[in-house]
Amino acid sequence: MSAPMISVRNLAKRFGDNQVLRGIDLDVQKGEIVGIIGPSGSGKSTMLRCLNFLEQYEGGEIQFDGATVGYRDGPNGKRIGDSEAKLRMLRAQIGMVFQNFNLFPHMTVLGNVIEGPVVVKGQPKAQATTEALALLERVGLADKANAYPSTLSGGQQQRVGIARSLAMKPKAMLFDEPTSSLDPELVGEVLDVMQSLAEAGMTMLIATHEMAFIQEIAHRVVFIDGGKVVEQGPPAQIFAQPTHPRTIDFLKRVRVYKA
Amino acid sequence: MSYNWHLYIIWDYRWVFVRGAMFTFELTLLSLAVGVIVGLPLGMARGAQHRLPRAIAMPIIEFFRSTPSLVQLFWIYYALPILIGVRLEAMVACTLGLGLHSAAYIAEIFRAGIASIDKGQSLAAKSIGMSYLTSMRRIILPQAVRRMIPPFINELANLIKLTTLASVLAVYELLHEANDLIAQTFRPFEIYTALAIAFLVIIFPLIYLSRKLELYWAKRS
Repeated sequence: MSAPMISVRNLAKRFGDNQVLRGIDLDVQKGEIVGIIGPSGSGKSTMLRCLNFLEQYEGGEIQFDGATVGYRDGPNGKRIGDSEAKLRMLRAQIGMVFQNFNLFPHMTVLGNVIEGPVVVKGQPKAQATTEALALLERVGLADKANAYPSTLSGGQQQRVGIARSLAMKPKAMLFDEPTSSLDPELVGEVLDVMQSLAEAGMTMLIATHEMAFIQEIAHRVVFIDGGKVVEQGPPAQIFAQPTHPRTIDFLKRVRVYKA
Repeated sequence: MSYNWHLYIIWDYRWVFVRGAMFTFELTLLSLAVGVIVGLPLGMARGAQHRLPRAIAMPIIEFFRSTPSLVQLFWIYYALPILIGVRLEAMVACTLGLGLHSAAYIAEIFRAGIASIDKGQSLAAKSIGMSYLTSMRRIILPQAVRRMIPPFINELANLIKLTTLASVLAVYELLHEANDLIAQTFRPFEIYTALAIAFLVIIFPLIYLSRKLELYWAKRS
């Protein structure tokens, strides 16, 4: 196997007295789709945010596409923080989709999508616009290019959020509970877009509570609880024959809740 | 109670009021410029993530907010020459004193405006590779400015009224002109009434505009 696209070793992170991540190990291959499941507060979102260094972390190491994320080793074992410029380059290569969409409300849909390519990458506006319209076509929102986010449904806003990330031509995409704040009838349209991305071979990390979807789409499912990877494997195995008692307990509660 | 109003006096001396108003205007604009130029970085420092800029900005802001503007003016005008040997002209001292006073309030308006924008906005900006300054300029400030404008206009109205304090340092703004006029004419009732109306005429439209803007934006969002 080639070197993984994302490699996490012994990742530790705390907020004040609250130790959120307690030594996460995770490898993600290029083109792999990894579903992250676990109870609320288990550290799923925090872990994703460490991957593009939206959160700092205290311990462990993250590598993305062969480069360390956030820190490098200095003399006598001290960590040296990466420069802002290096972090920006890193973030430009990793797409992130948020639970609350976080679209820019003062810009049109098109404005949201071309913002990154034009302002961060310095692409000519005309070229960025052509590409953005193609992306909006792909997420089924070509007719909404000139609408403002506040006029869109949650599902439409999240699809714009995905298009905004894709516009940066990322090497991997992080999805932080992308459907958790949507009305049930709007979940499907977002999952469809993610499905098409998966088919196009995008490397994806998806933190979600959509068990049926993740069972169908993911190559591997990682169950996180108490800031640690408790169990991982192919979806068929995790969902049909979980071995760890906490996984069994979690899946049982999710299923009971669903039924 | 029968006071014999001599309102024609106001008309006779109308140019004195106009002259005073122009000066009040000038002092307001200069102080506002100082207030904005000092207030913006102060507000950014006050809301910064790092502790150091916050620790520097906070005492400055709180000092100017919790001491009287009049005392600050006296202090700058009379104490600076003794302490560091710098003698400022009355107009400069007033501009500086009123400017710094309003800077403290403008800093708070600025900080609160930025803080009112959802944190997800700067996360999203960061996640597509934007720098802090770019995300301020492109994402945060365009949204925050709207929320800052009504309190900012309010502060401007306050500043206009505060310029009357400059009369104590012999700066010829409206109040000082009015006092001189009273010394000449012995007509304080008429003149102070006219003075109050002059300020009303200047300030009320601002307050009205601020309210209209607020309603307009409330309707649009």
